[in-house]
Amino acid sequence: MQFGAYLTGAFGQSQQLYQARNEAKRGRSSEEAVLKRVADDTAKIIQLQQEADLDNIIDPMFDVFYLFQPFAEQIEKVNVGPQENWFNNNVFYWRPQIEGSLNLPAGFTERFIHLSELTKSGKAMVILPSPYTLLMLSDVRGYHNQKEAVTNLAEVIYAEAALLVSRGITRIQYDEPVIVIKQSLNSLTGEDLELLRRGIEVCGKVEGATTSLHTYFGDAGPIIPFLNSLPVNCIGIDGTETSLKDILKHDYSGKELTLGLLDARSTSLEDPVEIAEQLQMVAERTNPRKLYLTPNAGTEYRGFTHGINKLNLLKQIRSILHE
Amino acid sequence: MNKLFSTYEVGSLPKLNARVKASRGQAVTDTDILEVKNVAQKYAVEADEIIDIVQRQRREQRKLTSEEEATLTDFNALLYLRLQETIGLDLVYDGEARRAEMYRHVARKVDGFEDLPEMIRSRGPDSWRMSVCVAPPELKKDCLDNLIITEFDFAKQHAAKPIKIPIDDPYMIAVMSDNRYYLESLRHRYTNDPRQLRYQAKRAFTIALAQNVIRPQVEAVVARGAKWIQLDIPAATLDIEHIPIMVEGVNAVVEGIGASKFSLHLCYPRRVSLAEKKGYELLFPALLDLHPNINHLSLELANADQYENDLAVFAKYKNQRSFEIGVGVIDITQEQQQAGKIETPEIVKTRILRASQTLGDPALVYVAPDCGLRQLQLDRCLRIYETMLEGTELARKG
Repeated sequence: MQFGAYLTGAFGQSQQLYQARNEAKRGRSSEEAVLKRVADDTAKIIQLQQEADLDNIIDPMFDVFYLFQPFAEQIEKVNVGPQENWFNNNVFYWRPQIEGSLNLPAGFTERFIHLSELTKSGKAMVILPSPYTLLMLSDVRGYHNQKEAVTNLAEVIYAEAALLVSRGITRIQYDEPVIVIKQSLNSLTGEDLELLRRGIEVCGKVEGATTSLHTYFGDAGPIIPFLNSLPVNCIGIDGTETSLKDILKHDYSGKELTLGLLDARSTSLEDPVEIAEQLQMVAERTNPRKLYLTPNAGTEYRGFTHGINKLNLLKQIRSILHE
Repeated sequence: MNKLFSTYEVGSLPKLNARVKASRGQAVTDTDILEVKNVAQKYAVEADEIIDIVQRQRREQRKLTSEEEATLTDFNALLYLRLQETIGLDLVYDGEARRAEMYRHVARKVDGFEDLPEMIRSRGPDSWRMSVCVAPPELKKDCLDNLIITEFDFAKQHAAKPIKIPIDDPYMIAVMSDNRYYLESLRHRYTNDPRQLRYQAKRAFTIALAQNVIRPQVEAVVARGAKWIQLDIPAATLDIEHIPIMVEGVNAVVEGIGASKFSLHLCYPRRVSLAEKKGYELLFPALLDLHPNINHLSLELANADQYENDLAVFAKYKNQRSFEIGVGVIDITQEQQQAGKIETPEIVKTRILRASQTLGDPALVYVAPDCGLRQLQLDRCLRIYETMLEGTELARKG
C-alpha cells in the first residue's frame, strides 16, 4: 500500500503578513509591502511542503479570503453578495450572486495563485469549489432549474481546471463541504445527491490530472458509498467528523482515499503513532489505490505556527508509515 | 419599564479618535480635538482637562501617563453616558469605553488561556487574536475590578437613567477560543465518536467559562445593584447542532441570581443554514429551556429587513414562552456606512410597527440598533440614535 500526505486548504497567515496588511490599511505602508510579504510567505510554505516530501504541493492562498473569492470577483455576471458565516467558523464569506448563464472565462484563479512557483515542484495541486457547494451557497438566477445551474457552474469550473492543468497543475481538488454538512444536519435529499453527481459528471474527469472531491466539516459516514460512486479519482473524508468505524465499513478499490485525520481547527496535536495505526488499519481493510493523510481542512483557522505544526506532524506520521 | 417601545443601545460605541491616538502615542490631529470639543459641548461634559492632555501629548510626542490615560477613559465613559441620556435612550451604559474589544477584554484575564502567536483571519483581512484553552479557565486573581467593577461603579454613579450592562456570554467565548484542554481531556472517552467528542468538549468548556469566568462578573455587579444584565452571544446560531450548549451556558450563569433582569443579545443569525430551519428559528425549541429569569432577547433584524419572517417563530412559541424583543431597527454594517445610507425615522417607525404586529403585543417591543456601534464613525452613531429616537416617537403615535 502506498501512503501519501498533503495539505488541503488555505494556510494560516503569519503575524508579519497581518501586520503588513494592517499597516497598509492605515496608510502607514504600501500595498507593495503586502505583496512582497505574501510572496515571501508563499515561497516559504511551498518550500516546507517540498522539504516534507508531500505528495501534492498547494499554494497557501494567502491572497484568498474565502473559497469563492476568485470566482465571485473575476467572472462576468457574478457579483459579491452579502456576508455569511463560513459554516460553524468565526470566519466569513460573501455569497456569490450569479446571473446565469455564465460564459466559460477560464483564468479566474490566475491572480490568486502563484502558478510559476507552484508548478516547479511537478506535483502542484489547486483547490476549486465543487459545483454543488458553489450552487448551494450562492444566490442564483437566470436558469430554468437547479440542474441547469449546477451544470453551467461545473462547466465554468471544468474550464478553469483544464486551463490550470495545461499550465502544469497535476491535481485538482474540488472542495465539497455542503453535502456532508447537510447529511449531518439531516437535511440531505435525493435531489442534493443528484445535483452533486451532475456537477461532478461535468468536471470530475480532467485529462492530465488527478481529481479529488474533498468533503469536510461534516460526517460523510452514511454517504460514503455515494461518494465512492462519483467519477473522480479520489474522495476526501473528514476524519474529525466521520468515525473510523464508518470509514472501515467500505471498500475503496479503484479509488484513492484521503483521510483528514488531523484536526485543522484545533491546536491539539494528534498522537502520530495512533494516527499511523489508524491509517494502517484502513489500508489493510479497505483497499484504496492510495491512501493519503491530510488535515481535515485548511489550517487557516489557527494561524501560521499551527499550520507548520500540523505540516510537521504529517511528515512525522508518514515516516512512521514508511518504516 | 412601562414606557411603550423603550429604547437602548446594544453595547459599544467607537472610542474617541483623540483618545485612541494619544493612547498609542500617535499624533492627535486638530480634527480629532475638534471632535472632542464639539461632542463634549453638545452633551454638556466638561472637556478642558482632556483637551489639555491631548494637546500636551501632541506637543511632547510621547505616550500618555497612566493617570492621563485614566482621565481620558473616564471622560469617554461619562461622555457616552451623557450622550445617550441627552439624545433620549431609556436605558444607557458607557459605550464599553473601558473595553478594548469584547472577546479580548475577557480572554486576556483568564488563567488557563494562552494567546495564539498569530492573528486569525475572520472577515476578509480583518483578524482577531484567538486564545487557546490549555487548562480549566479561571479568572485571574484580582481582575474583577478591571473587568467589570470599575466600569459598573462609574456608570452607576454618573448615570441619571437606568443602566443595562453588557457582559460576554460563555458560549461566545468558547466558540471564539481554541478548546485544546477539554478536547484532550475527553478524547479517551469518545475514541470512535469524533462528533460527540467535539460536542462534549465544547459543553464542558462552556460550563467552566460560565461558572468560573462569567458568573463571578454577574455576581459582582448584582451585588452592587445591577438591575439589568445583557449577555452577548453573537455566535448563538453559529453551530446549529450545539445550540443546546449555548442555553446550558446561559443558565449556568443566571441560575439562582434573582435580583436582576437578564437579556441576551443575538446577532449574525445563520440565514444560509443548510438545515431545514434558518435564522432565529434555529434557536427553537432550545430557547424554551432558558432559565425563567431571561425574558428579553435583543435581535439583529434590520440588516435583513424580514421582520415578519424573523419574528414569526417568537410569535409561534409565545404561549409556551413569551420574550420581550429588543427589535433591531438600524442596520449597523460598515457596508451601509460606506454607502452613506441610513434609515429614515419613517422606516424605523414602520419596522417597529411590523415587529409589534408580528409579535401580537406592542408591550413586548423594545427598540435598539442591530448591534453595538464600535466599528462606525461617531457622527454616524449620533445620527443613528437620533433617527432611532425620532422613528420610535412616530411609532408611539401610531
